[in-house]
Amino acid sequence: MTLRRYVLRRILLIVPVLVGVSMLTFALVSLTPGDPVSRMVAQNPSVTAAEEAQLRAQYGLDGPVWQQYLTWLGNVATGDFGVVYGTDRPVSAVVGRRLPETVALGVFGWLFAVGIAIPTGIYAAVRKGSVGDTVSRVFALSGVSIPNFWLGLVFVLVFVLWAGWWDVRPPREPLTHPETLWHLVLPGVTIGTATCASIMRVLRTSMAEELNEEYVTAARAKGLPERQIVWKHALRNALSAVVTVVATLTAGIVAGAVVVEVVFSWPGLGRELVEAIHGHEINLVVAITLLTAVTVVVCNLLADIIYAVLDPRIRYD
Amino acid sequence: MNPENDRSGDRPTRRQLLGATGSVLLSSAAGCLDDDSGAISFPLSVRLEVDADNTDRLAWTAAIAQVMEQTGYFDVEIEQYELDDFLERIFQPKYATKGNVPFLSISGTFNPESYCDPLHGTENQGQCCNLNGLGYDELDAMIDRARFGTEVVDDPALRARRYDEIWRELAEFRGSSVITYITEEYVRNTDVRGFSPYPFVEGTLEYALYSPADRVLTWIDRNADGATGDEWSAHRSGGTLRYGMDANVESFDPPYSTDIYSTSVQSLLFESLTTLDAEGNVFPWLARGYELVDVQDVDRRAYEPYMRPVPTDDEGVLEFDGEADVQAIVVHPDDDRIADEEVRVLTPADAADAVEAGVYGMQYRYELHEGVTFHNGEELTADHVVATAKRYENSDVAAQTFDSVLHVEAVDEYVVDIYAQVPDAEAERELPSFRIHTLEQAELPPNGIDPLQDTPPIGTGPYEFETFADERYFRARKTDDYWLERKGIDALEWYDGPESFPAGPVIDEIDVEIISSDSTRSAALQNDEIDLTFGLVSSTLEEYEDDDGYVVDSIQGGGYQFFQYPVTVEPWDDARLRRAVNHLVPRARIVEEVLDGWGEPAWTMLPKIARETGTADYEALEADLREKNAFDTAAAIELIETVIDDRGYDSNVQ
Repeated sequence: MTLRRYVLRRILLIVPVLVGVSMLTFALVSLTPGDPVSRMVAQNPSVTAAEEAQLRAQYGLDGPVWQQYLTWLGNVATGDFGVVYGTDRPVSAVVGRRLPETVALGVFGWLFAVGIAIPTGIYAAVRKGSVGDTVSRVFALSGVSIPNFWLGLVFVLVFVLWAGWWDVRPPREPLTHPETLWHLVLPGVTIGTATCASIMRVLRTSMAEELNEEYVTAARAKGLPERQIVWKHALRNALSAVVTVVATLTAGIVAGAVVVEVVFSWPGLGRELVEAIHGHEINLVVAITLLTAVTVVVCNLLADIIYAVLDPRIRYD
Repeated sequence: MNPENDRSGDRPTRRQLLGATGSVLLSSAAGCLDDDSGAISFPLSVRLEVDADNTDRLAWTAAIAQVMEQTGYFDVEIEQYELDDFLERIFQPKYATKGNVPFLSISGTFNPESYCDPLHGTENQGQCCNLNGLGYDELDAMIDRARFGTEVVDDPALRARRYDEIWRELAEFRGSSVITYITEEYVRNTDVRGFSPYPFVEGTLEYALYSPADRVLTWIDRNADGATGDEWSAHRSGGTLRYGMDANVESFDPPYSTDIYSTSVQSLLFESLTTLDAEGNVFPWLARGYELVDVQDVDRRAYEPYMRPVPTDDEGVLEFDGEADVQAIVVHPDDDRIADEEVRVLTPADAADAVEAGVYGMQYRYELHEGVTFHNGEELTADHVVATAKRYENSDVAAQTFDSVLHVEAVDEYVVDIYAQVPDAEAERELPSFRIHTLEQAELPPNGIDPLQDTPPIGTGPYEFETFADERYFRARKTDDYWLERKGIDALEWYDGPESFPAGPVIDEIDVEIISSDSTRSAALQNDEIDLTFGLVSSTLEEYEDDDGYVVDSIQGGGYQFFQYPVTVEPWDDARLRRAVNHLVPRARIVEEVLDGWGEPAWTMLPKIARETGTADYEALEADLREKNAFDTAAAIELIETVIDDRGYDSNVQ
């Protein structure tokens, strides 16, 4: 099968995957106790059971779950993702407002992770056993072990309260404004640290293996410069393993945004998802979950394509 | 001597109280109790249920559990739930039969009824907060008689005495145990001067910024130079107050808001016919004055001739024929929406007919100030009040609004009548609570007032909407043409303070920062990014209090923490057992050790703010009830032993 046909097939497969994800999410959210009306009623002692039922009927939450799902699916097919029950705001507008914030945070975290992990991983593999290698291993181990909410709070304490280099709140400027980009550093580093550590560990291991391969010995015997051996030959092969984890870890960045956005008051989709789950806003929860699913599927697809570019021997069935 | 102040004996120590969280939770991990375990025997298996989101509540639940276990008569398990799951679990009619003991809190109002009816009224079974399925007809009647009827409307002292009977009856019956009153702590930097919190979070911004009734005025002084005086006469005009809130402003639409954060922000923009001081006294506001025109001795059955039959479904949903979203003003008290297939309902149109025929409980007349303008220049008239009331029909707050309101009618351009369904001692406070809309806004669909959908809120309030970024911030700026400033403070005929008191708030801009994480909000305060916030965890308050750069203002709010006994389940159906457990609640120590002093033990079910109308003599009441709520393990054990002997329960307690 050619790469083009493979990609086409994978794109077509996205549809049933998303239907499955939406069905599962819808079922899971529906299985959890409560709905937007029960939350409303909890704040209002004077609502009777009959009035609660009346409100539920008003919001269309009184039918069976399958019926609610089919209605939702029918609406989505026409591009209508429904409204947020508490505010009547269109879900697509809410997601659209938050998406750029989370994308910016994710891209920053991802660039930080890759930008630090690749040179450090290579350095650690090439200088195996050196002080630098030991330091990078300690960093990698710490990065994987430290929960990002804790790291975020430490950053706030050190860089915001003690050093005064950043504000706690994000600036009220557009995303492209230098002040906003500067503010992205702390949450971006927080969200990217675990990913960075994971990539570093994988790259160090795979790079070290590549450097022990016979073709590297042969290249050295031919008198090729070490820089060329490392960067042109060994790294290209070592990257295949890294690409796999990068695709998986990108999904981790999306998940990590949930916590990091709360700690840094970053108004992205992660924070919105937390609020939506608490408020039983099923339309919003399903929409954000679907978006996350699309991100994961696309990342995996991109990983497959990059595989082919990195190693033309790979064939897809 | 108060037994809780005695450091000897079986009183729990600080270490025990704080350590209890771990030990009891650890023991709870051993397994679940069987709800249907058959014969009753002591030690009695008890499951305390609590939401895991509230650290303080979890700590005192554990503390009480530990004290119970120490007596040897109870095997206690604590079950934690995520808040929404917990609420969904406990707000079920069948929960009352499970035999569990839920811990939660309730917020009320200035109305004393809000501290007894939600927990004990039969109508609230399966709702907040009658979780133990208490159906106590005599108590229901006592609660009704304390609020409704011409006798209590005419005689506030009689009303107060009737509430005293209720508090004493509740202490005897002991369907629940109150633990502490809710207090709210606000932390501000010293640039914020004159600030005074309100007993309810949702009212604090409005009240603190400007309340002529209490001569409260907040101003900003960025060059305070250590000055800390809060006397309003030292005020300066201008500046921006940066207020940190821990949750989003979900809605700018008053009848479609039930959360305190939205309500809080709306109070800057919208106003009502009347306003309240910090003790709940009513003062005319948009109304120049008001009077009680007529009271008639009717109950809700008086509307029977005007009611129409409406079918209901199994869940009590009213099915109006061909009419969507019709407000049920009154459902006939003899009909049951869930049990009956059809009920008699008074709709707004029927209510108008009843009023026209002279059938109503009370008639209040409000005369509006002339020349009051909305932010868009529109002049306030009686039509605005009528249109606003119409918009409250079938809204998210319709249940509490049409609990008392019968009908709203314009008399002339500046006079409006509001009718109550029955003679109601709370009517003066409850009837005029609408936040008045412009005519255009009154026509908007539900949640239609929404700046994110290009329909920003427009009220008569001192602040105009400026900008809102969802989940990030909200900004309001002082309107250039506030009606009271134009008229002068003398326009408030009831005002008897100094003439130099401003005729409106003096701060130019209000910046509300939405920062959900407590620690991040605290960091923002320390980093001088916000000036004022609330809801920080009690363990951090001490540091702020010790710092000269900050002020901590604490106020007892309208609510309390409590737990409920499963009164319909054996052996909890024996009041002596409930009284025994009540004696095992170390209230004072919980405040001292768990809340680090930031709280007040609750000896009665009546918070300070409702005492004016809720008791004839609070000191006498507290003296009576304090003894019944005393921490006294010996008394508790004696009561438990009596229950065991009288009822013939097995006991392995040594």
